[in-house]
Amino acid sequence: MTIIETRDLRYTYPDGTAAVDGINIAVDESARVAFVGKNGSGKSTLFLLLNGTLKPGQGEVLFHGSRFGYDSKSLREIRSKVGIVFQNSDDQLFAPTVKQDVAFGPTNLGLSERKVESSVDHALEYVGLSHYMGKPPHHLSGGEKKRVAIAGVIAMEPEVIILDEPLSNLDPVGADEIMDMLGELNHLGTTIIISTHDVDLAYGWSDYVYILCGGRIIGEGTPDQVFSDSRLLRTAGLRQPTTLEIYHEIARRGLADGERVPKNVPELVDTLKPTDLMWVSVPPATREGDTLNLGMMYGDYAHNCPYEAVNATVLHIHTDGQAIVEMGRKGMRAGCIMIYDMGGYDPGEFRRIMADYEIDVVGAMGGKSKRIAERDNVRLDVVSGVIDKAILMVLSGKRCLILTSGGMVGHAVERIDEYAETSGIAINVGVIGARGE
Amino acid sequence: MNNLLDDYALASPLRHHNNWLKLIIVAFGLLVGVSSSSPVTPLFITLSMGFATVFFGKIPLTFYLKLVLLPLGFAAVGSVVILFFFGTGCEVFSLEILGYRLVANAGGVEMAILIVSRTVSGMSCVFFLALSTPMIELFAVVKRLGIPDSVIELAMLMYRYIFLFLDVAMSIKYAQTTRLGYTSFRRSVYSIVMLASTLFIRSWEQGEKLYIAMDSRCYDGKFTVFESRRPIRTPEAVLASVYVILAIVLLRFTGNIGII
Repeated sequence: MTIIETRDLRYTYPDGTAAVDGINIAVDESARVAFVGKNGSGKSTLFLLLNGTLKPGQGEVLFHGSRFGYDSKSLREIRSKVGIVFQNSDDQLFAPTVKQDVAFGPTNLGLSERKVESSVDHALEYVGLSHYMGKPPHHLSGGEKKRVAIAGVIAMEPEVIILDEPLSNLDPVGADEIMDMLGELNHLGTTIIISTHDVDLAYGWSDYVYILCGGRIIGEGTPDQVFSDSRLLRTAGLRQPTTLEIYHEIARRGLADGERVPKNVPELVDTLKPTDLMWVSVPPATREGDTLNLGMMYGDYAHNCPYEAVNATVLHIHTDGQAIVEMGRKGMRAGCIMIYDMGGYDPGEFRRIMADYEIDVVGAMGGKSKRIAERDNVRLDVVSGVIDKAILMVLSGKRCLILTSGGMVGHAVERIDEYAETSGIAINVGVIGARGE
Repeated sequence: MNNLLDDYALASPLRHHNNWLKLIIVAFGLLVGVSSSSPVTPLFITLSMGFATVFFGKIPLTFYLKLVLLPLGFAAVGSVVILFFFGTGCEVFSLEILGYRLVANAGGVEMAILIVSRTVSGMSCVFFLALSTPMIELFAVVKRLGIPDSVIELAMLMYRYIFLFLDVAMSIKYAQTTRLGYTSFRRSVYSIVMLASTLFIRSWEQGEKLYIAMDSRCYDGKFTVFESRRPIRTPEAVLASVYVILAIVLLRFTGNIGII
């Protein structure tokens, strides 16, 4: 179902610049859409058109199939359904305290004071800033301001959230946290539209991409379609996403294997053909054709390698005592991913799980889980891009525990199963804890 | 940047106490201090307020003293004039400057001390409020006092943008300084003019952005002001009453007692 649509949308600024010059888009419900283009390509203007702040010179914008009305009543309706987060948080936060700022939208929607309070509490808890309620915005960091700005929009419970350059001026972990949060919102059914010039972000995060250039859409499609078109990227003033570039390079050298273009690091790793040949030091008496038992390679020969070379056939002996061997290897210790539902968190049980399952790596997803973990001094190894990192850890034989709650539990299981299915690698995944068992 | 009174107030533990109680204490102190005709009561108020600010409010003592010293300087200059040109009574001491003989008599000394003590007591009350109650807490209070909503809304927006523009002004200033904008008087004047005009344009632009931001969150003339519910606790009430009673007793019995 299309939720927001434009037809031949045009907008010209008073000085004559055609910022939006005939744009046709159709965004599906619960989609994650990225508008990618260099600075000045018309992204911000388009966004202001999408929530009715600007009135198009020509063409129309449709929400759920009906045209935008530009009288004040219809505009209110649209703006309560299509929330917008500006690039610069300082433009958006105008109230003296965090709480008042988040309450601004719900109050103006005419909710009762009780309802306003509860939606503010909920929104701030969601972004993990409940304890900052009474602070003035100028005492917050850039990432915190951005989260307050997002909370201000979430509090109005819009169907679509538009974010103009959500990651500008954020540090990497702060940026990952924002994107995880957006992913969670999207998973719960909100349509998310972002603009960015970060091709890696658009490639890895979105499921549909529009390339903007000079106020026009010059390309659209799924991320791998759009970003594989190098001519299109050159015209738009963009470059290829790093993951894709590495994939193309290793594929050209015949090192990549697999039909699917990788979207993230786990998928990229998965395309690598396993190397069967290896340099090892061999005892002087060894001859070509011998079979060596190298025992456990893990730790002794190759650090960070989870494999055990049971038998290796010597193919060629080099003069300096090194030999090329072909290995028959098998995974030494299967990793696994455990998902713990923080909804039924119990410290005693949690510690028991940590000990019983010999967990190596703990990751937390979602504001609630992170807060509980922080409160109880649980050491978190991973707080952003948790699922991807857990998959990478499993592939190298580690045992991971993901702390999460609510709908994100199912989401995590789905994502991991999806990976297992496409890669053909079986991953042990299970939900544990009071609710899971 | 961290030297604004508001920042100290935000960090102060006294922030989380009932605003009305604080306001009443301050208003009481101001009125009693000013209406006292002996310097004893104002000095008592000064000490109590100073103690409350530094001890309960956890304001660094040196910072507080510097803060009080500032108005004290003005009061001192004023009282010098009073000392020599007002009052009657016996001569206390005299000075000879360039052949003129300046005489300070008992009445003048008395009056000067009274003026200084009143000033300090008033300032200590105001500082107590400023260092314990951030502006954001006062919006709810002024709303209760019946100030029109639009005035409060404007005040809230102004409050927020003061900090924003302060930041902008600081960064422009740094940018100018690093490019030697303040090396001579002429250049300083030129730079400051540029800063001011840029700031004006920025604030104009910010106004437009503000309008869009408010509009896209369905602005309908409503701006919430939350009044936090903080009941007055017994120890606070007891302490405040003891203070009030002591001050009234002092006021009643010191009457016209002078220091001299």
